[in-house]
Amino acid sequence: MKRVDLSVKPRPTKHSQPGVREQHGGYSRRTMLKGLLRGSAVAVALPWLEIFAGRRARACDDGFPLRFGLYFWGNGNVPEYWVPGTEGYDWELSELLTPLADVKPWVSVISGMSVKLPNTEPHTSGAAGLLSGMSLDTINGEYTFAGPTIDQIIADQIGGETIFPSIQTGATDCTGQSWNGPSSRNYPETNPYTLYERLFGATFRAPGEEGLVDPSLGLRQSILDSVMEDILALQSRVGASDRARLEQHLDGIRELETRLARLQEDPPSLAACVQPPALTADFADQEGRPQISARSRAMCDMIAMSFACDQTRVVGHYLTDPVGDVLFPGATAGHHSLTHDEADPQSEVRAITTECMAELAYLLSALANIPEGDATLLDHCVIMATSEISQGRTHSLDDMPLLLCGGGCGAFKTNYHYRSYTQENVSTAMLSVIRGMGIPAASFGADDGLTTDSLSDIEA
Amino acid sequence: MLPLLLACVTPDPPREPPPTLEPAGPVLKRLTAAQYGNSLRDLLGDTLVVPDDLEPDAASDGLLVVGGTVNSLSSLGVEQYETAAFDVAAQALGDETLRARLIPCSTEDDACASAVLEALGRRAWRRPLTDAELGRITDVARNASVVLGDWDRGLEYGVASILQSPHFLYRVELGEDDPELPGEHRYTSTDMATRLSYFLWNSTPDDELLAAGEAGELVTDAGIDAQVDRLLADPRARAGVRDFFDQMLMLYELEDLSKDPAVYVHTSSTVGSSAREETLALAEWLAFDEDGDYRDFYTSTTTFIDSKLATIYAVPAPSLAGFAETVLPADGGRRGFLGHVSFLALQAHPTSTSPTRRGQFIREVLFCTSLAAPPADVDTSIPEPSASYPTMRARLQEHMSNPECSGCHMLTDPIGLGFENFDGLGGWRVTENDNPINASGDLDGAPFTNAWGLAGAVHDNPNLGPCLTRTMYQYATGHAVDDRERDLISWHADGFASHDFRIQWLIRDITASSGFRRVGAVE
Repeated sequence: MKRVDLSVKPRPTKHSQPGVREQHGGYSRRTMLKGLLRGSAVAVALPWLEIFAGRRARACDDGFPLRFGLYFWGNGNVPEYWVPGTEGYDWELSELLTPLADVKPWVSVISGMSVKLPNTEPHTSGAAGLLSGMSLDTINGEYTFAGPTIDQIIADQIGGETIFPSIQTGATDCTGQSWNGPSSRNYPETNPYTLYERLFGATFRAPGEEGLVDPSLGLRQSILDSVMEDILALQSRVGASDRARLEQHLDGIRELETRLARLQEDPPSLAACVQPPALTADFADQEGRPQISARSRAMCDMIAMSFACDQTRVVGHYLTDPVGDVLFPGATAGHHSLTHDEADPQSEVRAITTECMAELAYLLSALANIPEGDATLLDHCVIMATSEISQGRTHSLDDMPLLLCGGGCGAFKTNYHYRSYTQENVSTAMLSVIRGMGIPAASFGADDGLTTDSLSDIEA
Repeated sequence: MLPLLLACVTPDPPREPPPTLEPAGPVLKRLTAAQYGNSLRDLLGDTLVVPDDLEPDAASDGLLVVGGTVNSLSSLGVEQYETAAFDVAAQALGDETLRARLIPCSTEDDACASAVLEALGRRAWRRPLTDAELGRITDVARNASVVLGDWDRGLEYGVASILQSPHFLYRVELGEDDPELPGEHRYTSTDMATRLSYFLWNSTPDDELLAAGEAGELVTDAGIDAQVDRLLADPRARAGVRDFFDQMLMLYELEDLSKDPAVYVHTSSTVGSSAREETLALAEWLAFDEDGDYRDFYTSTTTFIDSKLATIYAVPAPSLAGFAETVLPADGGRRGFLGHVSFLALQAHPTSTSPTRRGQFIREVLFCTSLAAPPADVDTSIPEPSASYPTMRARLQEHMSNPECSGCHMLTDPIGLGFENFDGLGGWRVTENDNPINASGDLDGAPFTNAWGLAGAVHDNPNLGPCLTRTMYQYATGHAVDDRERDLISWHADGFASHDFRIQWLIRDITASSGFRRVGAVE
């Protein structure tokens, strides 16, 4: 990756502590711009270096921000066909990873890691243990994660600069695996058309697009102010658990207020950011089967562009849910049923896992096809791909499937296979990812899932 | 009730006084998507198209309404409520009929706007607004009308403001000190208006109920009885009973039903919706047209089908488009809810049956028995169909004989295998892979030879009535019941049994319950 001239002004480097907030004095970018120009109404496109320089998230050496994506599919894999036979930088694609051939330089495989927490509920324990590092909790007989998932830990730190702190997308009717804490789930957007409207619909403004600020944005804010007053007053009258729930509601209101404020600012001047063409495909089921690939690809195109437009820096993309019994193209039964009932060597399950990797390859290619500076968007991403179990049939939490993809701004070894022979705690890899995103976290997880050490073997 | 009136009706069997209750503290109840939609249509007009892009409801202790007291709203959910509020407000002002209903005055001025917002606010928040609250909302509307230069657009912002408030989105029933029982708390009369209407109508109170609440009538037995009579006679009570069964039986999951058309030629993208309607129509008919016995839900040969279901059931299709009442043949093997596609297809896999899921549903949902999850770290596979394992019964033998599995599978699979004459969509079959199907078994000591007999065994099972009582109590009170309420629920269940398991009787009995009317202190 070629480095650019750093003479404009100092900005965070790879070794700074971007988790520490830089002071803006409370001024929005628009205000700063006006100040610079002494209130003049002249529209000036700032060079992209300056646009990112003031922001607090981790920036790569070339000034672009580092983005995080979680790519998730349900029901695990077939480990003996997943784990590459060779290790280190000389690794070769295994059968199930063959779709990643074109993007292999950006892919690292981490194998042999374990979820160390009790495996009490098939699938769900694994999802909670892997993504939150904590045991599954039960409230009123329903399972809930006990703490935030890795995407929200990251979004809490780096999501504050963008229109959306994070977005969640689902290629099938799924619930996703993003949690803020107990009984507080972030459901994915599963309708490509609704996703388009949120990201690129009426409120979208392309970089450099002239135009008056929409007065309705401010009016919408005035409603949110009024709603916030109602919630705050109500909080003082209810019990502790309701106060906490209302606090989550307030978080959502504040997020929306921030978004409305940002939409009144000029969008960042980013060369790669263009409004994608409106969707035209019909994503309805065909022959009783969901169009997983078409839906996922439409969403991944939008995810890539929302990164390129710096609308968000954290995404969770869910192909299917744990236990999902989705009928994949060509399969003779639902995915979950097949993992349990198909005889060895489970050729149908392997075909489905391969399809899950083909859709990951599509996402990575979409990111690689967007130039950013002298590099690509994929160079400025960490895409973590995983599932809630290893082998579907046994619900095993040993040898979890885990890929780290993207350049990661140089934080991780790329095109590398690390294999653990000691069933190391997978939380160490999560902590590596969090720290690689520039967040100086002391630990990840709790109880047997707790770690204060990251997995240095995968770090650059 | 007056003794004079008692003499005119059949006297109730003597009943022990209810056990005392130590009530739980109040909880906020976020409206379910169905309640949100029903409330908006009742507030603004039936023709309103309610946006359906909302935070998904998630069940807790089996019910969506309980989930609404536990789960937090996500940021996306907040955004969706905002989008929906503006969508609804634009319809309310933009559609001529809806606008005329919302705006009684003819002058487009501040006084009119304020009157509109005050009236809508009272209905939407299910209580009168304070001056300060109304002032804030009218300010929003006035400001918007100035900025946008349009009185109607301004009012849209006022309406959207009311609909985004927590006072609309959550049911705020916090109770008060009971003046007659110092140190104890009860729901206020206005709280009770809301509790009654969401329990009986699954929607917001109408003007008369709100007025009764505001007049203090709903803290007395007579006041509540009078409104319950009126509410149950209203068509909206049918929607209420439908929602109860929809939640209890998780029929809403049918909207995402997925079956492989290569295996089940009669499946289609709408068969799940049809199946849901059939079961809800049976529940409504049983509760209202028959004022019937809940247990007959499992043995009724009367049902309501459209042409899609008629094809699956291999019975004549109704002559008109849509649904019609029909009586299933007595020798056809199929009767009651457990013969419906809704149960048989939902509790199955996309390409096969699942005796385990079918049995588990009966234990957990119909009998309120909790089963342990399967051990997580074991091989749970069953043999694929083959000459050695030609039928589902043979394939499941491992789960029923392996001691690690049999503890639970013996509770579920022998019941579920009783439905093996129905394939994974609900169609009738007598063989599986050319082998005759053995659908015999026993339910807690009651033997059956097929699904028809099993339906009778479920009808007679002693867990059926108490479980419905518990579920309906929980649905009505809207919180997860705890041990402190167990005796009270048993007392209601005994009453239900001695009143022929009549669904309407149970609804009335619960509206009179201390569990429905009393509340603990804020915790």
